[in-house]
Amino acid sequence: MKASLLVSQVLNGLATGMLYALMGIGLSIITGVLNIPNFAHGALFALGAYSLYTVIQLVGNFWLALALAPLGVGLLGVLIEYGGIRPLYKAGHDYQLLLTFGLSLIVTEGIIIVWSPVGMSQLPPPVLRGGVDLGITFYPKYRLFVMVAAGLLVLGAWLFLEKTRYGAIMRAGIEDKEMVSLLGIDIHRLFTAAFALGCAMAGIAGALTAPIRGLNPWMGVDMLGIAFVVVALAGLGNLLGSIVAGLLVGVAQSLVALFWPEASVAVIFAVMAAILLVRPQGLFGIR
Amino acid sequence: MKAWLAILAAVVLLPVFVRHAIATEIWIFAIFGLGLNLLMGYTGLLSFGQATFFGSAAYVAGYLLKYYGINLFLALGIGVLVGAVSAAVVGYLCVQRSGLYFIMLTFALNQMFFFTAYQWTTVTGGEDGMPGIPRPTVLGLDIHGPLAYYATVAGLFLVSLWVMKRIVESPLGKILQAIRENEPRAEALGYDVSRMKLVAFVVGGAFSGLAGVLYAMLFGIVPLEAIGFVFSGNVVFATLIGGSGSLYGPVIGSFVFIWLSESVSAMWARWPLLLGVAFVIVVLFFRGGVVEAWARFWAWRAARRAPAGARVDAPR
Amino acid sequence: MPLVRTERLTKAFGALTAVNEVTLEIEEGSLHAVIGPNGAGKTTFFNLLTGQHAPTSGRIIFDGRDIAGTPPHRIAHLGIARSFQRTSIFPVLSILDNVWLAAFARQESWRGLAWRRADRYPELTRRALDVLGEVGLGEKAGLPAREISHGEQRQLELAIALAAAPRLLLLDEPAAGLSPDETQRMVTLVRRLKGRYTVVLIEHKIDVVMSMSDRISVMHFGSLIAEGTPDEIRRNAEVRRAYLGGIAAP
Repeated sequence: MKASLLVSQVLNGLATGMLYALMGIGLSIITGVLNIPNFAHGALFALGAYSLYTVIQLVGNFWLALALAPLGVGLLGVLIEYGGIRPLYKAGHDYQLLLTFGLSLIVTEGIIIVWSPVGMSQLPPPVLRGGVDLGITFYPKYRLFVMVAAGLLVLGAWLFLEKTRYGAIMRAGIEDKEMVSLLGIDIHRLFTAAFALGCAMAGIAGALTAPIRGLNPWMGVDMLGIAFVVVALAGLGNLLGSIVAGLLVGVAQSLVALFWPEASVAVIFAVMAAILLVRPQGLFGIR
Repeated sequence: MKAWLAILAAVVLLPVFVRHAIATEIWIFAIFGLGLNLLMGYTGLLSFGQATFFGSAAYVAGYLLKYYGINLFLALGIGVLVGAVSAAVVGYLCVQRSGLYFIMLTFALNQMFFFTAYQWTTVTGGEDGMPGIPRPTVLGLDIHGPLAYYATVAGLFLVSLWVMKRIVESPLGKILQAIRENEPRAEALGYDVSRMKLVAFVVGGAFSGLAGVLYAMLFGIVPLEAIGFVFSGNVVFATLIGGSGSLYGPVIGSFVFIWLSESVSAMWARWPLLLGVAFVIVVLFFRGGVVEAWARFWAWRAARRAPAGARVDAPR
Repeated sequence: MPLVRTERLTKAFGALTAVNEVTLEIEEGSLHAVIGPNGAGKTTFFNLLTGQHAPTSGRIIFDGRDIAGTPPHRIAHLGIARSFQRTSIFPVLSILDNVWLAAFARQESWRGLAWRRADRYPELTRRALDVLGEVGLGEKAGLPAREISHGEQRQLELAIALAAAPRLLLLDEPAAGLSPDETQRMVTLVRRLKGRYTVVLIEHKIDVVMSMSDRISVMHFGSLIAEGTPDEIRRNAEVRRAYLGGIAAP
């Protein structure tokens, strides 16, 4: 096996792993604070990618699109939480969850109607096209960018949650909602903020992915499962755990793709199943 | 008693009004829904991956039917067994985690089975599915004809319904409801909650497996969708709209769902959009499903008929 | 002969030691009260006995065997039943079913678990109705549990524990939230249990405790600060200090 191929694949794994971590963290925030697994997370990932595509079509600027896509998806998140999830607060988590499932269908089909059922492609911005000579291998610039960008976003999320006051409130909300509301914090605004933040993270993950894998309306479905895997392995609200789990899954998938490409997606879930068999609480979780 | 008469009447009359294939599909989906509802309605476990068991059973039994020409009883038995065993495996991983993780895991493991089926094209046919599934003769009787097959499936549905009725009226049924109502208390009473949940999961899987085999034999093909998350979502929707609070809810839900999906998908390829919208509407406004809407309607009528000043409490 | 004995039982949640080296004995057939101010660790103590928590250290000897760390669903089968301070019933199920389930769990064999109709277990149904009659809920057996008053739900809470035919009965504030009349009824009920069961009672209402306990243990900040007969406890200065104005002077 050529060393350059191996290194390329590991780098690919790190890049996708960072994106998986990003998805996992966003989902973890929503699930931790609102207590519902957001079944629309994958569809919103796809929406982020398609939003990027459209903004570039309209304005021609990748960087503007990269900023607007998560904003748009985050705003949609606010609408969803306010109009759909909040009214169901009394009905219980199961129904809020089912709402997100229904929304995932609406968003996915909406994408097909508004854009196209056929896959599309998106080029990276000119400055990020082509490759970089890393010595061992020649590696696409854009993928390096994604690795760095996703890593920075994850770092940003960590800084927000660990170092800011509102982040602390959010973490507290994951731990003990009753206590948070007793402290006089508007729990409903917390929910909206957490949901919007999670959605925005899904949106930007999708936007970053578009130039790598292209766009198709079902690109979110796979991602939803993977986001669930990351959260199941890391435990809710565990930021570091999500990063480790995301990278682990990404690299494992890339390496398996070298030897057994057909199994590269199924293997993610098989790895999760194997880990959970040995440690039912996940890599870091407490029961 | 009245419910049974209504169902028997439906079984007998349905093929008169509806195409035999659709009618058959309704009872198959009802069996599928009964299995899910033991988990969802009775135990309070929202399983988002029932297609795993439905599809696995369909593929395995379908494969054996197609290449080994097994007889009907064997096919049905294998379907139930594959459904139960795959549910035992998946369930074992899932029931150990609490509600949120349980839901996510059922979905994630469903994806694993889906992608395995998608890639294992030599066996499953991948995206194209597994065509050419025959309907074997039963004790010399030819069930190829649509009506004959309908009768077979309807009969199996009635048996399944009876079995499920026995289960929910048994101590196990009560234990599962207790787990739904107050899990720590059920545990304190002396019930091994994880094991009980696993039992419910396996039973649900068995029903799903039976439905899967019947589905394969109905259409003569196992499509990839049968093991995918949309199918898992379909049965959740059907159970929800029928009413997860009762034994017969999934039966009603199956009627509504199949009727909706067959009539709309014929007109518009974007049928899942309407399904999503229907999902949202049902969740926001009709959570109890048809069964509860029906009960509320009768309570409303009774209230209107009551003399002025009389207090009428709505049944819950 | 002590039916249950704890040896230096300790439970720490991180820096907080909720139960600290508690050593006590419960004589078979006695009514033993555990009292103490809020937060003294009484409920945590119960949780250790019934397996909701595993102890950090120490032993729990029941009937000669160390049962510390036994999971909750096996505790019931040892013959230990418990009622909860915050009413913990099955709201949608009928009152009869609430109690029936407790009785069914303790059956030697679960024959017909998934097959026999639940109402075809005459012995169990009779036992459930008997227990309901004993606590005064016999007439309401068919109602869903959520439709009765709080006071009646406390009676149900007790009935569920009794239906398991336990040897050791742990009652966590059975009179919580009850009016004076209801409290009196509950006191009468609990008094009738003396001798037939070994009862450990957590209770706040001191006069209740004083009037019916054989022995009293006093907990404060997780530790056992006093133990003895009601008279001895009444005279104990340290107990009086712990309970700000709780125990009347002799």
